[in-house]
Order: sequence, then C-alpha cells, then structure tokens
Amino acid sequence: MNQTWVLGQRALREAWRTPEAILPTLFIPLFFLVVNVGQAARIFPSASTDFLNGQSYGAFQLPASLLLAASFGTAALYLVEDIEGGYFDKLRAAPVSRAALVLGRLFAEFVKGVVIAVAIIALGMVFGIEIASGPLGFVLLVLLTALWAVVFVGLLQLIALKTRNAAATNSGSLIFFPLMFLTPNFVPRELLTRPMEIAATFNPVTYLMESQRSLILDDLDWGTIWPGFAVVLVVGAIMLAANVRLINHYD
Amino acid sequence: MSGAAVEAQGLVKTYKGRGGEVEAVKGVDLRIEPGEIFGFLGPNGAGKSTTVRMLTTLLTITRGSATVAGVDVARDPDQARRRMGVALQEAGLDPRQTGRELLVLQARLFGMGGGEAAERAGELLRLVELEDAADRLIKGYSGGMKRRLDLASALVHRPEVLFLDEPTTGLDPASRITVWEEVRRINELGTTVFLTTQYLEEADQLCGRLAIIDGGLIVREGTPESLKAELRERTGLSHDPTLDDVFLDATGRTRAKAEGAVSEVVA
Ligand SMILES: Nc1ncnc2c1ncn2[C@@H]1O[C@H](COP(=O)(O)OP(=O)(O)O)[C@@H](O)[C@H]1O
Ligand SMILES: [Mg+2]
Repeated sequence: MNQTWVLGQRALREAWRTPEAILPTLFIPLFFLVVNVGQAARIFPSASTDFLNGQSYGAFQLPASLLLAASFGTAALYLVEDIEGGYFDKLRAAPVSRAALVLGRLFAEFVKGVVIAVAIIALGMVFGIEIASGPLGFVLLVLLTALWAVVFVGLLQLIALKTRNAAATNSGSLIFFPLMFLTPNFVPRELLTRPMEIAATFNPVTYLMESQRSLILDDLDWGTIWPGFAVVLVVGAIMLAANVRLINHYD
Repeated sequence: MSGAAVEAQGLVKTYKGRGGEVEAVKGVDLRIEPGEIFGFLGPNGAGKSTTVRMLTTLLTITRGSATVAGVDVARDPDQARRRMGVALQEAGLDPRQTGRELLVLQARLFGMGGGEAAERAGELLRLVELEDAADRLIKGYSGGMKRRLDLASALVHRPEVLFLDEPTTGLDPASRITVWEEVRRINELGTTVFLTTQYLEEADQLCGRLAIIDGGLIVREGTPESLKAELRERTGLSHDPTLDDVFLDATGRTRAKAEGAVSEVVA
C-alpha cells in the first residue's frame, strides 16, 4: 500500500513535469464541447427540447467531453517508456509487490482524472451548466469520470505490458473511437437510428454517459446512475485482475 | 546454507519467440565467494545479460537453480532482492526525475522512511560524486553520470552482492576509470561484485576471478593469471599470453575474426 503510494507520487510528479502531455487532455475535450454545441445547439433549443430538462445543449454534451478527457491513456505510454528505457526493471528489482508496480500508476491516474474532471465541470458551470443532482451529484460525476480514466489507462497498460511497444500501445488507444462514438452522444438513445441504437446498447460507455447525463440534468435518479458505476466497477475489476496477472508473469 | 555469495547450478534459459525457441543459457554453474569481484566475460550474445537477469529475479529460470547471499532467487525473490543490488546494461533511469528523487524513491521502495531515504540518497550522491547534479533532471546527465547514478541506486539498501551488467560499455576512457574506482571502493567496503563485461582489460584490471561464457556455456574459469598460465602450458607459447589470447582461444576465434565481433579497449 505504502509502495503503491510512493510509486503513485512518482507518476504524478512525471505528469506535473510534462504539462505538454496533460494540457491536450483538457483542451481537446473543451474544444469538442464548444464545437459540438456550436453546431447543434440551434436544433435543440432548451425551451422546446424535452430531454434537456430546461438546460442548454452544452449540459447535454458535457458527459461526452468528460469521457473524452478520461480516454487519453497517456500514462500507458509512460509505462512503455519505463519498460523500453530499463527503469521498469530497476523497479522490478526492488522488493515491491508486483501489483504495486501497476497500481501506483493507476492511483496517479485517478488523481489526474479528478483534477481534470473538476476543471472541465467548473468551466461548464461558469458557462451556465448546472449540476441538477446537487453537491453529491457533483462528487459522483467527478468520481465516475476519474474511475473511467483509471479503467481506460488500465486497459492500455495491459497492451503496454504485453507488447512493451509504444506504437502498439498507441494503436490500442484507438479503441476510444468506437467506445466514444458508438454512444448516444448527440441525442438520447431513443432517438438514434436502429443500428446505432443497437451498437450503443452493447457499448458499456453508453451507460457511463447516461449516468453522467442524468447527474447533470436530473435529480438524483439512482435507476440511471447505478449502471454507470456498475460498468466501471465490473470492467475495472477485470482490468485489475488482468493487470496483476500479467505483471506477476512478466518476464 | 552454502556460504557462497552467488551459487548457480545448471542454469538454463530458453526464450520463446516467434521464430521458435532460443536456448540463450545452456547450463551454467557458478560459485562466487563473499568479497570477490567476479568477472563474467563473453562476446555479444554469449548469454551474460540473460544469466544476470535470472540471478537477479528479473527473468524466470527455465531449468536449474540459483541462490544469492544464500537465498533461492526463484523461491524467495523478495528476500533475495533485499540482499542484492542490480545495475543493468542499459542504465535504467527515469529521465523526468532528479538524481536525488530517483535515489530517494529507490530507498523508499526498499522500505526506508522519508528521512532515512533522504539521508541515504545524500550519502550515495557523495559516494559517486554527483552532489552538484543531484537536483537536476536526469535527462541532462552525461553517460558517465547516468552510470554512476545507476550504480548508486543499486546500493541504496547496502546489498551484500552487487550485479553490474556491462557497467562501462559505451563510456569514454576517463569515465570508465572512474567507474572502476567506484567498483573497487564498493568492494573494499565489503560488497561482493559480479560484473559482466566484453572488455578483456576490464576483467584483467578489476576481477580476482572470472569465467568466460560463449554460446550460453562457460568455457573457462579461474583467476586471470591461472587462465594465462594454463594457455601457455597447453599450447607451449613462447611469449606470455595476454587475457586476449585466453579469450580468443576459449571462444575459438581467430584474431582476424574477432576484430569485428569483440571490442577491446585501451583505457
Ligand atoms: N528477450 C529475448 N528473446 C529472445 N532471444 C533473446 C532475448 N534476449 C536475449 N536473447 C538472445 O539470447 C542470447 C543471449 O543474449 P544476452 O544474454 O543478451 O547476451 P549478452 O548479454 O552476453 O550479450 C542472444 O542470442 C540473444 O539474441
Ligand atoms: Mg548483455
């Protein structure tokens, strides 16, 4: 536990020292938020669009931004760097639980996820977005975003540990395309065309997005909120088990 | 307990890759006594790094067994890790930390508290003469500075046995001599040193005893003097053989062939 903390601090220091890698995870999602709202907001005026619950289209789009911010997975590339540069072997030569070697980075990812989520939501609030579910909802929204960031990086870490190759890990991060776009990201699921609706229903990220959207647009509506957390916890558990298994058999 | 600092019996490593299996180490036996500087000499691809990585718990052992400081490396890897230090062929350092941060982190991974770790880092920075660069990012260090920091990081926990895989490959002659001096100093403080090298002079200068490995097998073993004497006796050479001659004889290369394959260094 203590070792996870020490390794997590190092990963955070590394993130702090490479702002050029962090800033895009903040600005690209904000860019998409502005662009998407600019393109579609007039189709969905808040007064006459039921699914907006009286808020602006920006409020509806915010979850897509948060999820995008949480799906960069830069930390997995740092892991590849550690492996390629030999530093990972130095860490492995220490009497550290193998699990701590991967958990440290995931812990750092959680902290980064919290910071970025708070920053994006706060900016949204400056521009009039309200978190209808209140302070508890705000915390849940941040938590869900940060947990997804951990899960996503954890999945990429699997590729990093398996291939030990930056190009392969980079390619792996492209799974964010289907995960992010086969979702009801412009309109609610009921309004999607049939094939898209089927795809979205099978995409676990859909439930995250709907959970986040509910936290922004509705009172605490547990029926829609819990599936998002369930997705993160189930995929997260699989991701953790696979990471620990891989690192224990790392040769 | 054997009392040996390092002991290996029938060590074998088979890599499984796309092109089938490669037997990189084919049955290595070793016994190194506490206090020695032991040299593991061999051309590129002989199996030096593979052997070191097995002995240091970084690579699973396909067959055979090994103990370091009396601890079985496969059965009790964490205990073995506490008793040995490792500096690998590619100085594995994190460019985004400072030298001091890297040492403190390493010390903490070996169980020291914050204050103790900071103190130990300071001591080691003095030992390898990196105090001035201690708070700069490692990114900016020269090759020799990286080696010395790597050496220091292998020593944070005062290991009984220190493994150095080609500690001077790629260094300029002056840095090479500095590293040799560090290694001697560390050894004088009581640490057993196991070092691999492809430089004959390095083995001759530093090592009390050495083994020559070629194609995954140990082909000669002894003190530099005994190896030279043996060659002289066996071949009836008129001149005193050098370690070069022993190496070339052992690895079955002619001098001409060796020119491309084995780099030698005159410091
Ligand atoms: N990860 C690996 N996978 C497959 N073959 C390897 C691997 N590492 C080393 N080898 C092969 O094993 C042999 C010994 O390599 P190595 O131990 O690195 O030699 P040395 O350190 O003496 O130069 C070489 O033929 C090398 O190509
Ligand atoms: Mg090698």
